Amino acid sequence: MTNYSISYAQLLEANNSIQVLADESYWLCLTRTTQGSKLFPVSPYILLSYLNAFYRYPSLLRKVESQMRAEQCGDLARNFSGGVNTSTIGWCLPAFYLLGRELLINMGLLKPEDAVEDVVYVLDFWRRVQLSYHRNDGHKMNREFGHRSQLLPERTLQVFEADIFPVSIGDPLHTAAVRFLAAMSQFQFLSHCECRLGIMNHGPYRIGERSELIVRDFVNVGAGDFPWLDGIVDDIHYASLTIPMAIKNTHFHIVDDWGSLESEPAFQVENLIGVGLYTSDRLTETYIPVAMETIDSLTKKFKELQELVIDATNKLWARFAGWSRREMLQAGALVYFSTPKDLAHMSGTYEQADWMEIDERASRFEPLLNDEFGNDCLTELVGTISLPSQKTHEYVMSMHNDSPRRMISQIPYSIVAGHPYTKSSGPCFPGSTVLQKKVGKWRTSRGLLTEVEYNRLAQSFLPASCSAKLGFLDDSWVKYHFTDADADEIYYLSQDQSRHLKRKGARLTRSDIVSITGNHW
Amino acid sequence: MEDWSLSKNKYRAEETTTVPRAYLGALRKMALERLAKSGESWSEFVFGKSYDLISRYDIDQIEKDFLASGYRFVASAVVSASEAPEKYKRLEGQDEHEFTGTILNGRMVAGYGDNVMKCDRNIQGTALYLHTMQDVLDLMATGVPPSTIAIVDDAGGTLTAPILAEFVAIVCLGGTVRSHMGILSREYRIPCLMNSSVAGVKNGDRLELNVSAPAKTVGDYQRKLERKTEIWKVTD
Repeated sequence: MTNYSISYAQLLEANNSIQVLADESYWLCLTRTTQGSKLFPVSPYILLSYLNAFYRYPSLLRKVESQMRAEQCGDLARNFSGGVNTSTIGWCLPAFYLLGRELLINMGLLKPEDAVEDVVYVLDFWRRVQLSYHRNDGHKMNREFGHRSQLLPERTLQVFEADIFPVSIGDPLHTAAVRFLAAMSQFQFLSHCECRLGIMNHGPYRIGERSELIVRDFVNVGAGDFPWLDGIVDDIHYASLTIPMAIKNTHFHIVDDWGSLESEPAFQVENLIGVGLYTSDRLTETYIPVAMETIDSLTKKFKELQELVIDATNKLWARFAGWSRREMLQAGALVYFSTPKDLAHMSGTYEQADWMEIDERASRFEPLLNDEFGNDCLTELVGTISLPSQKTHEYVMSMHNDSPRRMISQIPYSIVAGHPYTKSSGPCFPGSTVLQKKVGKWRTSRGLLTEVEYNRLAQSFLPASCSAKLGFLDDSWVKYHFTDADADEIYYLSQDQSRHLKRKGARLTRSDIVSITGNHW
Repeated sequence: MEDWSLSKNKYRAEETTTVPRAYLGALRKMALERLAKSGESWSEFVFGKSYDLISRYDIDQIEKDFLASGYRFVASAVVSASEAPEKYKRLEGQDEHEFTGTILNGRMVAGYGDNVMKCDRNIQGTALYLHTMQDVLDLMATGVPPSTIAIVDDAGGTLTAPILAEFVAIVCLGGTVRSHMGILSREYRIPCLMNSSVAGVKNGDRLELNVSAPAKTVGDYQRKLERKTEIWKVTD
């Protein structure tokens, strides 16, 4: 193919994104985690997910954009807690795709000049959704912000600050919240096959001289896309749960592009001084308080949810204990691969077969994926950066390790001069899975919905705060127009179910919140 | 036929580990052979006939050829070795060794680990090894004995999920304080040592963990600072 259709400027931009992601991926993989499991074959499933991502993401993202532009998805994502978040879209989407490409290059089944239009498109999609999602802090990645993430507008943060309840160690709400957080974190690791993609954090947001607000999201909580949760989470009536936490004497100096935290000093539960509970999904206007009427009602709710989550953990563990290795391999691969799936829910284009099956071009590699190949190949791919495609000329000193290695191959500029290249890996091929077929419905704020019903509602519902009239009235505009009726209108939307701020409007500042609540964090 | 990605790679790097080098090398060789057989250009082949000419059957054959050499894989998931013992080395549990610990300051040191969370005081309990799902199932049926210090080789958070909250402490034989087991033990406020090694500890032994020692921080790992804390065997 020499019918050149990508501009030099587009290639420059794509290669910049590739390198930024490669640099950050190395830092994340080397310093932020060690992942292993005796239950799941984690590294093999990660590699399978990368291959599936390479073959399917371009088509599935184009399908999303047939209904909704990437930047509109980012706008919606700021408005609720869901699967479109820092980790899934900020890092997983482009990194999984590019690492699948790198693996295929090392298999000899791809060259860096192949699928160029796909690569450029996926990275362009990622940039647009990220710029929109991070609109309020003005960055594309947490990395650019010194590993910080301030996604939310003032109006949402004011409601969180006003309505969370003060707690101190040993009181019933503090105890219930901490126990719930532990049980929920464990369930999320289990339901996500040992990965942390069900837990997300953003912030910190300043709420006092020595206090910061961290917002923790648990996603894919109620009945949703994962077929293995059918019959396990029927009693958990929330698609997602959001816990804003006020924390004293602790500075969160790293909130990375995986949504994980680091603080100085290390976070201790005795420094948790405020807590709330919300739910939200694609069909809500914004965050909906859960049992936030009184301290007692919230305490009771945390206890009730903790019991439900412990019960779900035991049931799910028993289900997994009866699984074959292939079921575990495919389930884990699908958790990883499907990280961008909520883009499809947002745009009303979700189909279970798109996101919960392994494309036959990827599944043919399953026989390679024994534990030792998985562990060693993944280590070479993202740890030692020692696969043949990753070595560069000897003068190169890579970021973070000074070695002549590059995690992800650049697209050669030679194609601008007419050298051969290919455009696309083509549409999705048929997929399959050995996992049980999903039979349950999807848990939403509008009740349990079928796939068709969920897509139809998603296509017809746009939150008013994302409308053409109000969606572009951001904090920069409010600063000089806080007395305008439109400013009040958009603040009213966030305040609608607030205990303290209902219809207080756009004039509020933090000192007003302190006066109203009496809480000095 | 020569491996294109090596022969045409100016810097001639190759994989540093055995199985990836064998498998990826075999795939590269196969890709070149099938490309030549197809009679097509690379641009026609890469997203066309390559799918038919490099099938699951062909890839299965790569593994069969490799295992025919007598090589056996190292398993990380219990299910891998138990389902295909002919492909994997036996998973070894680290328990019931002859005692090789040392006596230091009058106390029998039976191991060391990285402390996840500094506690007000040390913790004592009874050692119990957990390696498999069956071990966990048994405890689900009988209940976790009081004061159990679980010794696990799973740094993940899933193998022991149903019973994790019932341990008084955890000694994990792998991972780091940032592993999922480290994260969950912190959330549950269960004293925990990660990246531990033990010697001479048997099921039922009484142990004391020095969890009042400073926690190992992420900065310690990045600066490659050792900060091991003791596992004592209580003999009186």
